[in-house]
Formats: sequence, C-alpha cells, structure tokens
Amino acid sequence: MFLLFLSSLVASAQGPATESQVKAAYLYNFGKFVTWPAVRANSDSFGICVLGKNPFGNVLESTVAGESMGGKKIAVKKISNVQEAAASCSVLFISSSEERRLDAILAAAQHMNLLTVSDIHDFADRGGVIGLVSEGDRIRFEVNLNAAGRCHLTLSSELLKVAVRVIGTVPGS
Amino acid sequence: MAEKRTRSISGRLMMMNILVSGIALLLACAGFFTYDQITFRQSLVRTLSAQAQIIASNSVSAILFNDPQAATTTLSALKSFSNISSAGILRSDGKPLAQYSAAGQKPLVTLPQLPKGGGEAHWFGTKHLLLIRQIVSQGKSIGLVYLRADLHEINQRLKRYATITISVLLISLLAALLVSGAFRKSVAQPIVQLANTAQEVSREKDYSVRASTIADNEEVRVLVTSFNQMLQEIQQRDSELQQAHDKLEQRVSDRTRELVSANKELEAFSYSVSHDLRGPLDAINGFAYLMLKQYSANLDPQGRNLIEQIRSGGKRMTELIDDLLNLSRITSSVMHSAKVDLSTIARSIMEELCRTAPERKVQFTTSENEEAFGDPHLLQIVMENLLRNSWKYTSHHQEAHIEFGHTRAEGKTVFFVKDDGSGFDPRWADRLFHPFQRLHSSVEFPGNGIGLATVRRIIQRHGGEVWAQGEIEKGATFYFTLNLPDKNV
Ligand SMILES: Nc1ncnc2c1ncn2[C@@H]1O[C@H](COP(=O)(O)OP(=O)(O)OP(=O)(O)O)[C@@H](O)[C@H]1O
Ligand SMILES: [Mg+2]
Repeated sequence: MFLLFLSSLVASAQGPATESQVKAAYLYNFGKFVTWPAVRANSDSFGICVLGKNPFGNVLESTVAGESMGGKKIAVKKISNVQEAAASCSVLFISSSEERRLDAILAAAQHMNLLTVSDIHDFADRGGVIGLVSEGDRIRFEVNLNAAGRCHLTLSSELLKVAVRVIGTVPGS
Repeated sequence: MAEKRTRSISGRLMMMNILVSGIALLLACAGFFTYDQITFRQSLVRTLSAQAQIIASNSVSAILFNDPQAATTTLSALKSFSNISSAGILRSDGKPLAQYSAAGQKPLVTLPQLPKGGGEAHWFGTKHLLLIRQIVSQGKSIGLVYLRADLHEINQRLKRYATITISVLLISLLAALLVSGAFRKSVAQPIVQLANTAQEVSREKDYSVRASTIADNEEVRVLVTSFNQMLQEIQQRDSELQQAHDKLEQRVSDRTRELVSANKELEAFSYSVSHDLRGPLDAINGFAYLMLKQYSANLDPQGRNLIEQIRSGGKRMTELIDDLLNLSRITSSVMHSAKVDLSTIARSIMEELCRTAPERKVQFTTSENEEAFGDPHLLQIVMENLLRNSWKYTSHHQEAHIEFGHTRAEGKTVFFVKDDGSGFDPRWADRLFHPFQRLHSSVEFPGNGIGLATVRRIIQRHGGEVWAQGEIEKGATFYFTLNLPDKNV
C-alpha cells in the first residue's frame, strides 16, 4: 500500500494564501450555499460583481477561472453603479469605497435578490447579508438572516454552521 | 500399528461416526463463519461508508470556509459509535482540518492514497478497517474524510464462533459415542459374538455351539443364520465321518486279527508240510543211494540212469524244502536291531565270490561307510542275495561291473546294487520278488527263485521297500530302503 504524509497529500499549496485570495474564494464559495429565487435562477451565467473600488486586483478572476456554479459559467464584473447589477449579478461584493452610499445600495440590492457581501465594518448589522470579518489571521463571516430573507435568499444551514455570528432567525422557524 | 489395523468393527464404526459428524460440522461451521465474516465485513464497510458520506457532506462548508471548529463538531458526532477509533477531515492540500480519536486511540499520521478516480476506498487490516472518502463540492474534490473502525468486534465474533464450534463439536462427539453405542448393540455386537463363537469353535473343535441369532439387522441375521447352518452341517459331517472312521477301524482290526491268525496258520502249515515232507524225501533219497551203491552191478546203464534221475530230483526237492523252511524261519525269527555297515558286508561277500572264480573279470565298487540300522544277520542275507544275483547274472559277459551305493529320494536313503549283466524284461519287474518266480531258465542260470522273495520279506520286516529296474542285456539295479527307527541317532 502506498502511504504518504498527510501534509503532502496534495502538493498544491503554494505558501499561505493572501487575504484577498481568501476573500475571493469566499465570494465564490458562498454561492454554493445560497438558493436564489427562480427569477435569478433563469440567467445563463453566474455573475459575481464587484461594486466600487476593486480590492482584489485580478485575484478574483484567477480564483474563479474555469469554475462553474450549478452548471453555469462564472462571470466576474466590476460595476460602479448598483443598477448595473440587475442584469447579470448573483453575488454583489460592495467595496469599502462605497460605505457612504451603503444604505441606498442595500435597498437597491434587496429588490434585485442579490447576495450582498462586504468587508465593511458591521456590514451584517447594517443590513448586509454576509459581512466578512477578520479574526486574528483568519477571515470569517457574519450572516444576517433577516437581510437574506428580505432578498428572498435561502441560506443553507451548512453555511450558518461556519458563520461567526448569525443575526436574526430563519423565516418560518 | 498392528493394534490399529485389527481394531474392532464397533471401534471403527465409532471412529467413522465421529469423523463424519466432526468433518461435516467443521465444514458447516467454516462455511457459516466465512459467510458471516463476508456479510459482516460488507455491512461494516457499508455503515462506515454511510458515515463517511454524512461527514463529507456536512463538512463541505467547514472546509471551504476553513473552519476547524465546525469540522470538529461534525466529527464529534462519531462519539456515539464505539467501533470508530479515529477519523479525520483533510483539506485538499493534505493538511488535517479536524481529527477525532476515541479515548486511548491516536489519530492517523499516514494515509494510503486513494485509487485514481475512486471517490471512496477501504482497506482491511488485522485490527482496523480504514475507509477514505473524497469530499466533493461542485464536482471538485476539496478534501478527504477518513474513518478508522476497530475490528475488535469481528475478532470477538471469531472467538465466539470458535467457542460455539468447539462446544458443538464436543456435544456431537458425545452424541456420536451414544449413537455408536446403539450401533454396537445392533450391528457390531452380533458380529463380535459371531467372531467369538467362531473362535470358540475353532479352538474347542466343538461344532455343537450356535451363535445367537438375536440381531435387529437383516444382513447380520442372515450371516449368523448361515454360520449356524454351516456349523450344523459340519457337525453332521463330523459325526458321520467319525462313524465311518470307527466302522473302518473296527473292520481293519477284525481283518488284521483274521489275517494274523491266517498267516500264522499258513506259516505253521507250510513249516509242518516242509518238515513232514523231509521224512519221506530222506527215505527216497537214502534208498535211491543204497540202490545205486549195492545194486548197480545188477542194473543196466538205463536203470542206473533212472536211479540217478531219482536222486537228482530228490536232491533238488530237498533244496527247495530247505529254502522254504529258511523263508518261513526268516519271517518268524526274532529281530535284533543294531547299526550295520553295509559297505563292509558287501566287500567281504564280493571277495569270497572272487575267490570261488578267480578267472572272472568283475570290477566291484562300493561307497564307504554305508551305515544302516537293522538286524545284522538278516541284512547280511539281503546283501548276499543281491550280490550273488549280480555275480550270477553277469557270468555270461566277458567283463562286468557291480556297484553298491546309495542315493536319496524323497528325503530317504535308497541303497542299490547295480550290475551290467543280462538284465530282464522290465514288464515282469514285480514278479521277481514272488517265490519261485524266475525270469531266466535254470539251464541258462541255475537257481530256485527264492532269493528275492527272501529279500523282500526281510526288507518288509524292516519297514522298507524293494524294487527293481532292468532291461534285457542292459543290466539290472535293485533298490531298497530301510525304515527302522534308529535309536542311536
Ligand atoms: N542281477 C540280476 N540280473 C538279471 N536278472 C536277475 C538278477 N537278479 C535276479 N534276477 C532274476 O530274478 C529271478 C529271481 O531271482 P532269485 O534270486 O529270486 O532266484 P535265483 O537267483 O534264480 O535263485 P536263488 O533262489 O538261488 O537265488 C532270477 O531267476 C532272475 O531271472
Ligand atoms: Mg538268487
């Protein structure tokens, strides 16, 4: 039997991932635990949109390159106006540069059934669906179920399980 | 070894019972055990696989969002499964995200590699079953989960099976013993009894015993019955034989008595006849002699010739009577047995014969130290008769050989006297031994024909036999055996 050390099982790790790499992966992975209402499910690609000043450089593109979500190709878009998200976005990352316009953006996103993600401080408390927070050298996230409910999004319990904090309750329970 | 080979039927039956039931049981147990092991292992793998599946699907988010705590919580559900000794969730880079190990167990350090393309694989070790499953999200492998189950239970099961097998084996052994005990009664016992009876019969020579016919087995009953029938038949024949034998014995002894008295009478008769004949014969001879002495002057040559004839006839008759008397004396005389050197006797007889006719060229050979046991005087007579005959019946030849010696036939010493004289017609070889039977005319060879009869009487008294071989003009050989018990040897 061929044995190998656990640490060298897959030799793909090339040094510790950077913060933006982790965040980019999270953006993509969130989609796996979220169910969108039927309207959104009809579009032919899965859009991840970055609103405002792009903090990822091209890390996001390289992270999702070749990946797919529920059989749909993943498309990364950089937008400057929340209205641009209506057509082809499922996940909306709100850059910290947009903090001042946050309430308006969230209100708009709510009608577009967007999964709003941001690393803006207290993002979940302020009505965002998923807020990224730093915990030591780890990136974790908070979930606002009420916000998700308003956006008609269903978050899997799996996702809630790994969240640092869950605000609100699942509607109907 | 010999004991093993001659083991009794009942022992063999018992061995057979035990062996057959033991083998059957062992085979059945082995089969059942194998089946159980296979199904148990299969079900073990199935359960483990299901557990791995659950853990895999429950740890996707933990891996994706790098949450060891959530992974640990997922794994801690395994606590309720006592057979799982360790488990772990590994990220795709191989680093463990969370590990679980039951009390007193260590988590695994090394893992075997999953076969290419295989989502799941398992390995059976001596003490553990290891199962590895890929964790997949959106069709991509994002990590591994492994579960290691203790095979303690399987080994426990094995032990339990062994105990059950051994105890069932012991019980069936006991049952086999009981069954063969019953068997012994119904099959072996009658056969053993039969064997005992047969042994008793052959030891005691008592054919009146019968084997017991109580047997609930048809074949054995037939065997015993036919054995008894056989015994019955033997017994009957035995008694018939005994009767016949007794009758025969009776008849033989009767005949012997008759014969002995007849023989005695005959001997007495012939003796008295010979003896009484001598008186008148002596008178004839004496008066014929006187007549020739005193009255020959008064007789013409023809008369003298007639008286000569009377005299020679009388002389001849005297000789015959003497021979007859000798013969009957030999038959009735008391025997004194001793060791006799036949070679010496033969040599002295031949020397004397040579002295009587020194002109004859007769070569005589004898083997040395031909010792026999018998009456010395009678054996002297035998040798004298045989050698004299050879001397006489070679006299027409220029040169002659006479030989005395012995050969062996059927373990007995056979003495012989051999010559190369006139011989005789072998058709009449038996007649030679009857009194007054001669195969040559007295003109050719003089003689009375009483010699060989005497020889035969003597040899018969010695418990032996005498016979002759010969051919005309090719010589004759006379053989004889002696069969007196030799007390000196
Ligand atoms: N050695 C011999 N060779 C050939 N014939 C023999 C010999 N011995 C015996 N016979 C035959 O057997 C006959 C019987 O022999 P047996 O000795 O009884 O009588 P015999 O020699 O003629 O007379 P006698 O009474 O004087 O011995 C003889 O007449 C002879 O024909
Ligand atoms: Mg003779």
